[in-house]
Amino acid sequence: MTALLLVAACLASYGGFACLALAMPEHWEQWGGGSQRAAAWRWLRPAGLGLLALAYGLCVWRDGPGFGSLLWTVLISAAALAVAFTLTWRATR
Amino acid sequence: MEDTFRKSMAWLHTWAGVVLGSVLFAVFWMGTLSVFDREIDRWMMPATRISPAIAPATAPISLDKVARAVQPAVPAGASQWRVDLPTERTPVLRFTYKADGMDPAPRQMEPQQLAFLPPQGTLGGSGFIFPFHYGLHLEWKETGKWIVGVAAMAMLLLLVSGVIIHRKILVQFFTFRPRKSLQRSSLDLHNLVGVLGLPFHFIITLSGMVIFMMIYFPQAYSGAYGEGKKARAEFFADAYGKYSRPRANAPGTLGSLDAMADVARREWGGTEPYFVRVWHPGDANSYVELRRSYAREVTMNVDQIFFDAASGKVLHRFQAAPVMSAQRFISGVHFIQFEHWTLRWLYFAAGLAGCVLIATGFLFWLEARRARHAARGLAGVRVVEGLAVGSVTGIVIATLAFLAANRLLPPAHGMGGEERAALEVWTFYLAWIATFAHAWWRGRAAWRGQAWTICLLAMACVLLNAVTTGDHPLRALANGNLAVAGVDLLLLALAALAAWSARRLAATPLQGSARQAGARA
Repeated sequence: MTALLLVAACLASYGGFACLALAMPEHWEQWGGGSQRAAAWRWLRPAGLGLLALAYGLCVWRDGPGFGSLLWTVLISAAALAVAFTLTWRATR
Repeated sequence: MEDTFRKSMAWLHTWAGVVLGSVLFAVFWMGTLSVFDREIDRWMMPATRISPAIAPATAPISLDKVARAVQPAVPAGASQWRVDLPTERTPVLRFTYKADGMDPAPRQMEPQQLAFLPPQGTLGGSGFIFPFHYGLHLEWKETGKWIVGVAAMAMLLLLVSGVIIHRKILVQFFTFRPRKSLQRSSLDLHNLVGVLGLPFHFIITLSGMVIFMMIYFPQAYSGAYGEGKKARAEFFADAYGKYSRPRANAPGTLGSLDAMADVARREWGGTEPYFVRVWHPGDANSYVELRRSYAREVTMNVDQIFFDAASGKVLHRFQAAPVMSAQRFISGVHFIQFEHWTLRWLYFAAGLAGCVLIATGFLFWLEARRARHAARGLAGVRVVEGLAVGSVTGIVIATLAFLAANRLLPPAHGMGGEERAALEVWTFYLAWIATFAHAWWRGRAAWRGQAWTICLLAMACVLLNAVTTGDHPLRALANGNLAVAGVDLLLLALAALAAWSARRLAATPLQGSARQAGARA
């Protein structure tokens, strides 16, 4: 169960930053996204923030407020770096 | 000073970075390794590699048996003896005592038969790398701690000024372009790890300074308690807890430590004690101190209970006041003495990100000025390049030399354990000095030469461990010796990264060294 929650928290924070990155026009275009006026595109930013909040909830559920908050703080930094390297890998491929 | 605020901040960022970057890299590198200091201890002290299959750390140990085992080693008239109990990361007991100004080196005991292990003749990760992280081993008048404190203040300034001078902080939030020029790609990486790692780097730097509040900010307590030794002791007693009573100078006995531990467990809601200390052993006024473990919480509590040694009656209980509990929480965030493997690995990664941040900062400084300084005949790049190579790749080489010396020197039986430990430390410093000399002599080519040296030394360490102890990574994994296997695998990863970056450097000199900086850590 704790392992599952950890995987879920990792995915939520990675997905959250991925949404936030794709909400930026240049990354959206670089990823080959379509029209920026599409309704779905406007939902990316709130979805990203929502996923990060979800990740916090999962961390606290797994480890309690002390360890959970600490875990979330470091985990989202790692997730943001992973998103940045994914974008780099995609751009230099 | 410059005419605009942003330019002033850029000036501050540049100078603070160049002047204190070396110290900061040393502190970050040693701090990152300190995350796994106990695992490095196991690697460097083969006799303490006790497989969890043989002696699980959770197995209860009778304190009365421990007392019987160590008492013959305590000299008459000792002021105290102390035993730290085994934990998941340290599967051995640690025994120390103090007597008439004598403060001998700790001795280790295996947990099953409670027999003393032979001296390992090394300071290891917790005795050399960890103290280097906060004090640079400069003990005279706390010089080292003050240098680290100044560097930590500079780190906070660098983080804040870095955010201010970053022109496209939101647009380039996720931007890294490794194929661009070395100058551009090292700035990208510097900005990326700087911005995304900001929360961790800010918290870890600030909490590091809070730990040493009595050194860096003595005004805080001397304002309320006054100056001098007595005031300091009073503050210490109120903040961290202290009980003492004088020696009676009449013979006394020691009651059941296990019964005292039961009282403590009930008091602490089932939490185990992590060390036991007997004050004035053998005296009628002897008393016992038990400390509460903080393996399962962030806060490094200072809960303690004192018992009368003969009767086992509780003499004094202590729990930190709320303000002090906040300080202990912040300290706990920095020390990570709790058992949480996910957080431990994340801290390690975030620490490496800090190393990359500092190294790429140096690289950008060098690349931005290389042509200009050459044209104008300035020596700045040459001087800073030597400094940067010596403090980045150099300290990695010195650390590997330290590990290699640990496996090459003969066991401590013949020579004194302390002499052997000193030889290891000398190896570290001599290797480090040599890397600075090499860097100033070779200039830019030194990056590549030192990258190959890192690769070879890291592989040599794994090989030496396998030859001298038989614990090659596969065997260590099979025996459940995850600490030893982990250190070996990280060494192999380091060797691979160093080789890859050295080859990149050979293929495309300009682009390669950016990779090298990222990969080196």
